[in-house]
Amino acid sequence: MSQLFDYEKQREAESAAKVRALEALLIEKGVIGSDSVDTVLAHFETVAGPFNGAKIVARAWVDPEYKARLLADTPKAIAELNLAQGMDGAEGEHMLAVANSPEVHNLIICTLCSCYPWPILGLPPYWYKDPVFRARGVREPRAVLREFGVPVSDDTQVKVWDSSAQIRWFVVPERPAGSEHLSEAQLAELVTPESMMGVALIELPAA
Amino acid sequence: MKLQHYLGGLENLGPVDFEKQVFVQEWEKRIFGIHTTMMAESAHLIDALPRYPMDTLPTAFKSDWTWASLRTGAEGMQPFEYFKFRYYEKWLGGISGFFVDQGYINGDELKSRADFYRQQPDAPLPDKPSAPIREQIVRYLLEGDSGLRPYAGTALFAEGDSVTVADPVAVDHTRLPGYLRCKSGKIVEVYPGAYAYFVNTGPDGIGEPMPVYRVVFDAADIWGEEKSEPNTMIYADLFEAYLVPPK
Repeated sequence: MSQLFDYEKQREAESAAKVRALEALLIEKGVIGSDSVDTVLAHFETVAGPFNGAKIVARAWVDPEYKARLLADTPKAIAELNLAQGMDGAEGEHMLAVANSPEVHNLIICTLCSCYPWPILGLPPYWYKDPVFRARGVREPRAVLREFGVPVSDDTQVKVWDSSAQIRWFVVPERPAGSEHLSEAQLAELVTPESMMGVALIELPAA
Repeated sequence: MKLQHYLGGLENLGPVDFEKQVFVQEWEKRIFGIHTTMMAESAHLIDALPRYPMDTLPTAFKSDWTWASLRTGAEGMQPFEYFKFRYYEKWLGGISGFFVDQGYINGDELKSRADFYRQQPDAPLPDKPSAPIREQIVRYLLEGDSGLRPYAGTALFAEGDSVTVADPVAVDHTRLPGYLRCKSGKIVEVYPGAYAYFVNTGPDGIGEPMPVYRVVFDAADIWGEEKSEPNTMIYADLFEAYLVPPK
């Protein structure tokens, strides 16, 4: 975290105590169950997470016709795969995929808050929620991408997608060169949430 | 203008924070879980897609709580306060404030219980599981809450139309990114059907079902030729109320 949020332990301890007090009171008053919060968190361990997105991308890489279907009708193509139930559930009701290529680099952002495609990527990382990213991503995407380690030339078109309504956008990153020998499962292991928002390239494992 | 709606485009802010964790403190997970439980228990879901059986859910929570509720709390803050608090601190402040304002808990008991846990951080939570609430949480996460609704009207715009973004009164909460106000773009997609929003935003204009459009903007038309990167397009999904009607 940047120094801006290097809080004293005191401030964190007070927040921790306050949220624990809140949870306790809500349980006592029957507003939530004592298992409610853990039920939510478990969903993002086992059902909704980047492991789903990784499988979608790996399939798109090995099967160009699948990739075309994914771009033409994203929900239908996702439903083809053997993923958990709920891929069109909360924050995934209306997901759409866009593909990176040598000609086009896509960057996903939510300048108003942190809208993110939960079923296939889980919960958003802090960089995506960062007001500096939200501010700069729409104004100087290539400068931001350079800071992320992704060089994009002026000859490549950059498309920035601001998730301001119902659509939850995600990116199909380019398959890395030299990955021809990898299986679909091995390819899935290379896919990161950052690559599916457009701020990272896929890296091959060190030889 | 309302600063929280104008983050897009602010300049001279220094480097992005590259933190990849979703939560940087354990306590943040708890407020996230409380918020999501509230959304799963929200009274408005009785009219949602699908219709959830909110009238029979055994919970003391009888309020509406949606993304709009959470966002309004954050966006309604005095702007300089907004930037003092980290992401989930804003959630904790807004949600605990909501429960006090709505009378579910009172401020004194929250404070004294927080003092107790401050002294004894590992003291247990009460043990009162609820299978029906747990099932509703799972169902809500699996089935969602789409804003798609039947629409008897016709879309004002068609694919290919040039449009100008509107400039409505600044209210606490909006889905119109400030940097797009009064800018000119082109419709690239008319989404089928119409979308409601969780709340009516009053003079801001959204709430009742209306068409939504995918609008593309040339970055140069938003920031000016000299202050935009070349060969850059910005796409935004905009409710019909956010576009100036055709003459």
